[in-house]
Amino acid sequence: MRDILKSNYHWVTLFTLVILVGLVDMNFWNIESLLILMGDIVPLFIMALGLTFAIYIGGIDLSAQSMANMITVIASLYLATLGLWIVPVCFLVGVILGGISGLITTRFLVPSFISTLAIGGVCYSLAQWLSGNRALYMNSESRDALFGWMLSSTGIVPNTIFVGAFVFVIALLIERRSSLGRQLKAVGSAELAASASGLLVPRVKVLAFALSGGLAALAGVIFSIKLSGGAPSIANGFLLPAIVAVLVGGTPLTGGVGGVVNTLVGTMIVAVIRSSMLYLEVAATHQQMVFGIVLIIAIVFTIDRSKLSIVK
Amino acid sequence: MLEFKNVSKEFGPVKALSNINFKVDKGEIVGLVGENGAGKSTLMKIIFGAYQADSGTIFIDGRQTRFTSPRDAMSQGIGMVFQEQSLIGNLSVMENLFLGREQEFRRFGLIDFKKMAEASRAQLAKVGLDIDPTIETSKLSFSQRQLIELAKVLTLEERISGDLVILLDEPTSVLSEDEVGLLFEIVNKLKTRAAFIFVSHRLDEVISLSDRIYVLKDGEVVDEVKGNKAKASNIQASMVGREINTEYYRQDQRLPFDKEAAPLLSVQNASVAKKFEDISFDLHAGQVLCLVGTEGAGREAIVRTLFGMHSLDRGAITFFDKPSLKITSPHAAVSNHIGYMPRERKIEGIFASMNIAENMTSSQLGAYSRYGLLKKADELKLAASWIDKLSIKTPSASTDCIRLSGGNQQKVVLAKWRSTGSRIIMLDHPTRGLDIGAKEDVYTMIREMSAAGIGLIVIPDTFEEAIGLGHNITVVKDGRAVKNFNCMQEQVTPFDLVSAMT
Repeated sequence: MRDILKSNYHWVTLFTLVILVGLVDMNFWNIESLLILMGDIVPLFIMALGLTFAIYIGGIDLSAQSMANMITVIASLYLATLGLWIVPVCFLVGVILGGISGLITTRFLVPSFISTLAIGGVCYSLAQWLSGNRALYMNSESRDALFGWMLSSTGIVPNTIFVGAFVFVIALLIERRSSLGRQLKAVGSAELAASASGLLVPRVKVLAFALSGGLAALAGVIFSIKLSGGAPSIANGFLLPAIVAVLVGGTPLTGGVGGVVNTLVGTMIVAVIRSSMLYLEVAATHQQMVFGIVLIIAIVFTIDRSKLSIVK
Repeated sequence: MLEFKNVSKEFGPVKALSNINFKVDKGEIVGLVGENGAGKSTLMKIIFGAYQADSGTIFIDGRQTRFTSPRDAMSQGIGMVFQEQSLIGNLSVMENLFLGREQEFRRFGLIDFKKMAEASRAQLAKVGLDIDPTIETSKLSFSQRQLIELAKVLTLEERISGDLVILLDEPTSVLSEDEVGLLFEIVNKLKTRAAFIFVSHRLDEVISLSDRIYVLKDGEVVDEVKGNKAKASNIQASMVGREINTEYYRQDQRLPFDKEAAPLLSVQNASVAKKFEDISFDLHAGQVLCLVGTEGAGREAIVRTLFGMHSLDRGAITFFDKPSLKITSPHAAVSNHIGYMPRERKIEGIFASMNIAENMTSSQLGAYSRYGLLKKADELKLAASWIDKLSIKTPSASTDCIRLSGGNQQKVVLAKWRSTGSRIIMLDHPTRGLDIGAKEDVYTMIREMSAAGIGLIVIPDTFEEAIGLGHNITVVKDGRAVKNFNCMQEQVTPFDLVSAMT
């Protein structure tokens, strides 16, 4: 019983929160508003899916937010010229930059939190330079023609949810069904054993960071479409909740267990926390503080101390 | 002055020490010897307070006492010179000597380094070191650092009222012959200041230095000899202890192999700097080669080099009679049908949070995927067949390996390499930590692999394993192959092996 509770505590957390918030304000249990809530969080969810891969192998990707920032700028600038191609191009930019973080980590043995932090700095500067450090607006004609559907709903379901579901299914396929997913699990579970099994550990790690970068870029594209524009700091405030989503979902910083389903639950927990702050009238300026605290609590509960000897 | 009476220590069901009686007199050097796993390090740890005995009593100068921690033991006069040195490289010699005691040199709230340097010189003189105490410790040679470690322990002299007992744990393992001589000279001089307990696997050194020698075996003191009357052969005999019994080893179950065929593996004069030197051997299909030696003798480095984890400095390794085939990474090793079961099962052997099927295919994902997608049904089928073949005790093939016992985990790893189609498999301590039944299963599997024509290199846990399993035994000492036994032609005894290793 305790084991079942322990391995499913992210579900328990989610339902407890939904019930608690609903008790405070019955309006919260309205299906339609819950769906809107979920639709709104799709960009964050996609970023968190990417981060899941980085954390799954025992690393972290701190560049995700700057990557999304930069992509909102790129998407806003080039949507009119590239049309639908903007999506694969942005994804590729993310994959390449994420891959570079991975190469820095595996080739030069720079811890991933440093290599991704550095690449994040590069992204931020690129965003400032490309945008001339101001907010940009998308060509609204192109946006409406190509992506207008994303902003409407099918019945009561916002269409962004379908986008999120599509990316989720692909990510789940990679994790559960692909050879790459198995190798990611092996590296996260026991890196030395993975190496002793003949796996190309550095390559696997580079791919994990490439996936993380690519999905952060995708999050940026969707975010800029929703806002019909971009700016070098428009996605600030994404990183902390995205990391919270992964860790609260139950993928520990040490990697190897958890995965994208956990991140789905974790993101919903983040969505509930975020909207409950609205219901409880927590000021917007206090939100990041709440996520900071939740992050620490999540780490304290999920970390496997037996794997750590020294914490720096 | 220090005396142990009927001291015992258990770790779960394992009796590490039982009823140890042990004493050290003032100004005496006491040697402590025994095979790997005989209980030496447990006894040492109890002496310097890292472990507490489960039963028995400890006396210092006839007064009953106990050591609750290394710090407590230190305050009662027990000093430990660590084998893995405890000095901090980027601090100066004097800072290391007085680490944690800086307040003794405080002046106006700051450390008076002049005073500390002066005090350090006095300490260094005790061990005959004439160096500048302000020098950074990492700039010194290994043997100098060892002496500083000793000097650090000797600073206890001025701090406690009683006499000192100093433990030396394998202090000579990385010293040259001259340095060993120097160390022994210093220890002999210091006998007026302290008693010593000397632990080493080099028997000749123990005999030449010690006044008295305790021989440990299976957690008990089996012999106690005066240093001047000690003979290496007698001590070795009591270290090994038991009668030799061919039936026990099941040597008759060993199958002959074809020596005329080209070897699977041929190693010629292989050397890796600071790990091993001039190693040569052939391994044929169906042959089991056991590498015997003390910890750190270079056995692990040899198998790791064959698996592509270290690169060769000199010599040649030829796999499958193909001189052009070079194994430079584990990936290359696995793709060329070489398997390796590392000693640290939990860290390098098994994926604890992955299930049995996932573990088994981890070295052969190419065969269990198409277009990058896994063939999960095939994986489960493979796992099911091996669970059946090796009677692995598990609820199902998709049970996470963390839920299996050590023996069953080991079976999973062996099944992984066998199903990968390995032609050479290297096993480092394959029975470590297993109960007797599980050990028997592993032996059976090794014999089956041998019968199936796989070449095996085994680093055994005990001499009995080496004798019972090996067609050949190579004794490795300080990185060199000092002796080869052909077990098909001669009856090898544990005594022969110990004599060659120590």
